Amino acid sequence: MVQDLPPTGGYGPIQYKRNVPARGFKPSYYLLAMGAICAYGFYEVTRGNRKQVEYSREKAWARIHLIPLLEAESDRDHVRRMMAADARERELMKDVKGWKYGSVYNSDRFVRPTYTPMETTGVHQPR
Amino acid sequence: MSGSRHPQFNQTVLIDKTPLPTSIPPVQEVGATSAPLLSSSYFIGARCKDYNEDYILCKHEAGGRGEVECLKEGRKVTRCASSVLADINKYCLKEFRAHWECLENNNHRLFHCRAQEKPYNKCVFDNLKLEKVIPGVPKGETPVHLK
Repeated sequence: MVQDLPPTGGYGPIQYKRNVPARGFKPSYYLLAMGAICAYGFYEVTRGNRKQVEYSREKAWARIHLIPLLEAESDRDHVRRMMAADARERELMKDVKGWKYGSVYNSDRFVRPTYTPMETTGVHQPR
Repeated sequence: MSGSRHPQFNQTVLIDKTPLPTSIPPVQEVGATSAPLLSSSYFIGARCKDYNEDYILCKHEAGGRGEVECLKEGRKVTRCASSVLADINKYCLKEFRAHWECLENNNHRLFHCRAQEKPYNKCVFDNLKLEKVIPGVPKGETPVHLK
C-alpha cells in the first residue's frame, strides 16, 4: 500500500498571524514621548518653585523693611502705658511706707503685657 | 500679640489714654494702613535703612530694656518713614494709590500688581531717587519685580 505523503513541492504556508494592520507608532516612540512630556513637566515645576521662592523673598523683605517702623510705634505705646501706670502707682501708694515701686517682675527687663485693651476704630467696632 | 482684643470689663472700659510725659518729644504716628505700607515698604527700607538698623541694633544691645531706652531711635524711624510717605504722596500720589488699591483687591499679593507697580516704581525713582532692590536674589537672575 502506498503511504500518504505531502504533495510534491510541500504544503502551502499556513496563516497563523492576525491579518490586522498595526496601528500607531512603534512602542519605543511612545516611551520616548512620555519621557519628553515628563521632562517638560519637571522643568516647569522647577521653574515654578524657583519663582515662588523669589515671590516669598520679595514678601519677606517687604515685611522686614516695615518691622522697625511697626515695632517703634507699638513700643512707644507700651512705654506710654507703662509710664502712666507708674505715675498712677506713685500717686496711689505715696502714703504706704516701704512700698516697692516699679516692675512686679524680678528683673529690669521691659515686660510686654499679655493683653492691651486698645481703642477700636473702623470695622472692628466692639459690639 | 495684643492688638485686636476688645476690652471687656464689667465696670468700665479701661483704655489708658494718658499721653507720654512732656520730657519725651512727641512724634506723629505714621497712621497708614497695611496696603499703603506694603506698597511703600521697599522705599521706606531704601531711605530709612540706617535708622532702622540703628533702632534694631539699639534694642538688641539694650538687653531687654530696649523699649524704654530706644525711644529716640524709634522716633527717628517713624519720622523717616513718615517723610517717605509724605514724599510719595506729594510726587506720585496717582501711581501710589493705583498700586495699593490693587494690592488691597488682590489679597496683598505683589505679583498680581506688576502693571501698577512699574509706573509707580519709575515715578518714585525719578522723583525721590529711591529704588526697589530685593536683597539676596541669585546672581544673574532678574528680580521678580522687573520681569
